[in-house]
Amino acid sequence: MDAVDDPSNPKTAARTKRFLSRRINDIADSLISPSDVLQIERQTSQPKPARATYHTPHVMDKRHPSSFQQLEKLGEGTYATVFKGRNRQTGELVALKEIHLDSEEGTPSTAIREISLMKELKHENIVSLHDVIHTENKLMLVFEYMDKDLKKFMDSRGTGGALDFITIKSFMHQLLQGIAFCHNNRVLHRDLKPQNLLINNKGQLKLADFGLARAFGIPVNTFSNEVVTLWYRAPDVLLGSRTYNTSIDIWSAGCIMAEMYTGRPLFPGTTNEDQLQKIFRLMGTPSERSWPGISQFPEYKPNFHVYATQDLRLILHQIDQYGLDLLGKMLQLRPEMRVSANEALTHVWFRDLAQLRMQQQIQNQQQVQMQQQMMAGGYGVSAYQ
Amino acid sequence: MAADFWASTQRRYWQFSKEQLAELRDKLDNEDKTLVQQCPLPDRRLLSHFFNTQLVKLGKRMPIRQQAIATAQVYIRRFYIKVPIRQTNPYIVMATALYLACKMEESPQHIRVVVGEASAVWSGSEHLPTKPSFADQQDVIPLDVSKLGEFEFYLISEMNSQLIVHHPYRTLQELQSTLNLAPDEISLAWSVINDHYMTDLPLLNPPHVIAVSAIFLALTLKPTQGGLQATIATAAALSNTPQLSKNTSSADNRAPDMTSNKVQNFVAWLAEGEVDIKAVVDCSQEIISLYEVLEQYKETTCKEQIAACMKKRGLV
Repeated sequence: MDAVDDPSNPKTAARTKRFLSRRINDIADSLISPSDVLQIERQTSQPKPARATYHTPHVMDKRHPSSFQQLEKLGEGTYATVFKGRNRQTGELVALKEIHLDSEEGTPSTAIREISLMKELKHENIVSLHDVIHTENKLMLVFEYMDKDLKKFMDSRGTGGALDFITIKSFMHQLLQGIAFCHNNRVLHRDLKPQNLLINNKGQLKLADFGLARAFGIPVNTFSNEVVTLWYRAPDVLLGSRTYNTSIDIWSAGCIMAEMYTGRPLFPGTTNEDQLQKIFRLMGTPSERSWPGISQFPEYKPNFHVYATQDLRLILHQIDQYGLDLLGKMLQLRPEMRVSANEALTHVWFRDLAQLRMQQQIQNQQQVQMQQQMMAGGYGVSAYQ
Repeated sequence: MAADFWASTQRRYWQFSKEQLAELRDKLDNEDKTLVQQCPLPDRRLLSHFFNTQLVKLGKRMPIRQQAIATAQVYIRRFYIKVPIRQTNPYIVMATALYLACKMEESPQHIRVVVGEASAVWSGSEHLPTKPSFADQQDVIPLDVSKLGEFEFYLISEMNSQLIVHHPYRTLQELQSTLNLAPDEISLAWSVINDHYMTDLPLLNPPHVIAVSAIFLALTLKPTQGGLQATIATAAALSNTPQLSKNTSSADNRAPDMTSNKVQNFVAWLAEGEVDIKAVVDCSQEIISLYEVLEQYKETTCKEQIAACMKKRGLV
């Protein structure tokens, strides 16, 4: 990856030159190559003299054969369509995120934000951006391929969405590592939800969809409060806070953890108000006593229905004591009381993770062996027939 | 501004040595020697000052933060180490760089606003005609929405989508309490940082070195008006004394400003820390010589030479 990005790298230089080669032939829809880049001249019929704005290419490179075969559609994002793709040269699977360009806003801010952040954030729990390809009217982000998102993974389990406790622990650990890396690099994700967590067959979990992420380096007093899908949105954001910080991602992580136990979203609110009510019904309605300053929030209502705090175990029957403790620390109503990602990673609940993973591996191997034996048996029968 | 500077694309791909930078530019110049010979342009720092003035002019017409203007200047500087300036319309480069920087710094401006304001600022200069009749002329580019959008694409691509820029402003803020800096010192250092974008320093040094240099200049320039000589003397003292904490007294003799406690504390802090002192001295000297060069600045010269260059290009 590094070599590809290096501006002094001859390959990149060549790609740049290619970018500038304006006479671009029609390229089959299914084929996207790095050379199929921004077509600056709209009409190719009249060869015009080079225009002052653009760098005249001195070398017309041959088109690089690297291209991607577009396979099935994987999903429709907020500002893009995602396809499965295959690198024609290497056979490697990729995810192609196709962003349509709107002449009214240039390259969408969300795309620019995502691309520029992904260029900086390289971590095993963050989906990696291989390349950015400009075509005439599209922007194509080439990501590493992941098999499923967490939502689909849960649905595919045939257990009503609930996961086993080893998987939950492993996923939570990876989720928190990804979050910690973002936060250590002063990036807020702001839109964590099962659909944005990608899972591969190796059991790895990676954060994706940084379209709403933002850097929080320089203090800015106002943040947009139109972020984070309602169900995973922190109460302080719901109350109208515009000075939120890393703790909003922790709240989302807590909601996701609970959802992995039950298979159902913890707080499936329909409106801002309903969302708050669902949170208060379980976590208890906060007051000026439990949360000094709460009445100052724009969305605070003095007539909030007063609920007592419930025991989370009533909903999460399967959770153990340590897991419950960690979850409680993440689902704190007051943002300043929420555990940080770095602290959460050192929680005692994760202490036996390595051991559990080993056990699971052994179990899996045994299962594979059993299947192979059965298969062998099967073949034997058919051969006999 | 996001992410860790040490692991950043800025550090990995956009920091050069002076030699590397010179080599890159020589290569660009060699690509079209005739044009370079036929179209003289002002000293790069003067040209950068021109860009800076134009961006500030444009920025004033929209609610834009200083940091967006800083980011735009870094984009322009990066762009022009990959693309020969004489083959571009600098006005479009400036407008686009600012438009993109605004998106990155989360103060997005509508594309129509940027196009409209850019046209208003520059249309009088005849370099950026907006009337369609000019469009047929090959040496001028009308600025319109789709042009800006296309050029933004090009700019992003030339920068390999590496758009996050780390600025020295943050280090300055972080050091405010450590070094006990007064508001006027902060604002002086802040303007030194604003000015350093007219030099190659953003491509040569990590932001914290620049912040420290700016503080150094602010502290030594402030007490005596026109204390440039004193600053130069202090800088010389700094570079000649490898063990600063022990030798601050020798600097005292050369520069009267050094008697100030704050400067002494600063020098002591510098000596203890891991900041590259030689780099700080180099930066400071670079900024001082910028101020000297800027005395020759004439806006009309820049304007005319750019215009002549753009015109010539049509003839080449």
